[in-house]
Amino acid sequence: MQTKRATRAVINTVLTILGILWLFPVLFTVFGSFKGRQEYRLGNFWDLPKENLFGSNLIAVITSVGLGRSMISSFLYAFCGALFSAVIAALAAYAISHLNIRHRTFWFLFIYSGTIFPFQIYLIPVYKGYVQTHLYDTRFGMILFYTAICIPFSMFVLHNFFIGISKEICESAKIDGCTNLQILTRIFIPIAKAPISIVFLTQFTWCWNDLMFGLTFTKSPEIRSVMASISLLGKDNVPVLLTGCLLASIPTIVFFFVLQKNFETGFVYTSK
Amino acid sequence: MTNKDKKRKAAANWTNYLYLAPATVLIALFFISSIIYTVYLSFQNWDGFSPMTFAGLSNYLHLFTDPNFKISLMNTFIWVVCSLVVSLIIPLLLAILISKSSWLTGFKNIFYFPTALSATVGGMIIASMLSKYGIPQLFSFIGLPNLMQDWLAVPYVNTFIMIVMGMWQGVGMNMLLFLSGLKNIPSSPIEAAVIEGANTYHLYAKVIFPLLKPTTIVVLLMSLVNSFKVFDSIWVMTKGGPYRTSETLALTMYEESFIYNRFGVGSAVAVVLTVMILIVSYFNLKNTFQEPNIA
Repeated sequence: MQTKRATRAVINTVLTILGILWLFPVLFTVFGSFKGRQEYRLGNFWDLPKENLFGSNLIAVITSVGLGRSMISSFLYAFCGALFSAVIAALAAYAISHLNIRHRTFWFLFIYSGTIFPFQIYLIPVYKGYVQTHLYDTRFGMILFYTAICIPFSMFVLHNFFIGISKEICESAKIDGCTNLQILTRIFIPIAKAPISIVFLTQFTWCWNDLMFGLTFTKSPEIRSVMASISLLGKDNVPVLLTGCLLASIPTIVFFFVLQKNFETGFVYTSK
Repeated sequence: MTNKDKKRKAAANWTNYLYLAPATVLIALFFISSIIYTVYLSFQNWDGFSPMTFAGLSNYLHLFTDPNFKISLMNTFIWVVCSLVVSLIIPLLLAILISKSSWLTGFKNIFYFPTALSATVGGMIIASMLSKYGIPQLFSFIGLPNLMQDWLAVPYVNTFIMIVMGMWQGVGMNMLLFLSGLKNIPSSPIEAAVIEGANTYHLYAKVIFPLLKPTTIVVLLMSLVNSFKVFDSIWVMTKGGPYRTSETLALTMYEESFIYNRFGVGSAVAVVLTVMILIVSYFNLKNTFQEPNIA
């Protein structure tokens, strides 16, 4: 369907104006992070920064607010959570799609049910359980929780992919003497590089961006996740806050650029 | 099959279940038991320290008479309805415009970029922008000093502002889904319609939108369920205030439990929220599992 040149010009203009509006808060954040606390308050927020205070804002955010520690903690939780859940989910997805198991649908739904319920319903019991088992405010507790919560969706995606692999491959591998585990590790996993990386990256992003659980299951600054720390920053020093926001967004922005090409293919695996 | 073969086969099958074990153990421990426990807790009184006492239905009855709960319910309803409109119409319009523009990749990335930020970061940025020294400051320059205040501190208005700002981060994903749906529309029905003299309106209403129905249903159901669960951005922008006027059910559950130490009431709110979401999710699940493709 051809678009007339005039129509296209109008569309381009409209989208450009909207696009500038859309990116405006990002520009606000970038410029704001270069300003000083007083400069932000006294001046007009339209003003360009007078001097380059980004460095000192960065140092303030990392040391006095402790965002550096939180970022390291979150990186640990998100990386381990995404990795462990991918492994556990791959095992389960392989079993349900290709192994000799009774009541497959039941097991599938049992694991998948983790995504159906709103996460709020898990908050209080896990909190209470963690307090009683002394997992509250521990790194291990956070990693364990994030691993568990990433399993259902990862299993769903990997199952979707595995079910498309024909059974003949398994049968011919068995004839060659492979065990079930070898079929999984030597055949399935190498083929599944694309969905596995999508799953890992999306789950890492989810864990990194989480606020509610990071806030509820931690207490001390060392264990706190990055978004929980950001949410506790006051509006007293806005430039430091904005610098913190930029810093905390680095992983997700990096993944955004990395995933760009893979998005379209990625969606195929996440839908039916 | 001899008995020995049967036993060997049963033994081999037994190890297959080991593959399922880590996943099911973690799910059962963390989630299945949590659901049961939350329901149980909703019938108790508990402040987090003292022993629990049985409360029967009093937590639920308390909710029906609590003005905060009614406000929260209303806000949740507003969020859900507005999100539906916002998540369907605007991403679709954007997707159509972008697909006809000269710079598809660029515009696609620009409008998706805010979605790549976390809800917490997005909320903090918006909250700073709308606070006293941000955008409202502009109004003092054009002679409306009354408007120079924290816009997020105005009861009820702030809910609508938050919904609009939520759109900034929210439309990216749906826009991508619609773009993908538009790309997958076969060209033959469109060409046939053009040959038969359809004008633009007919083209969209009678050909393109019906062909987009599968994508639209997925977007609709996903957005519906997600709009019930919004927590991060509201918490960071208003914490449900001022005076609990911008709370939604998700926040009420959190606040009743962890701020007011009324875990029984909080659990009851969680149950109410879950039932509402399950009803909506039923339609989502039906759509996802239309073809049996488990094994």
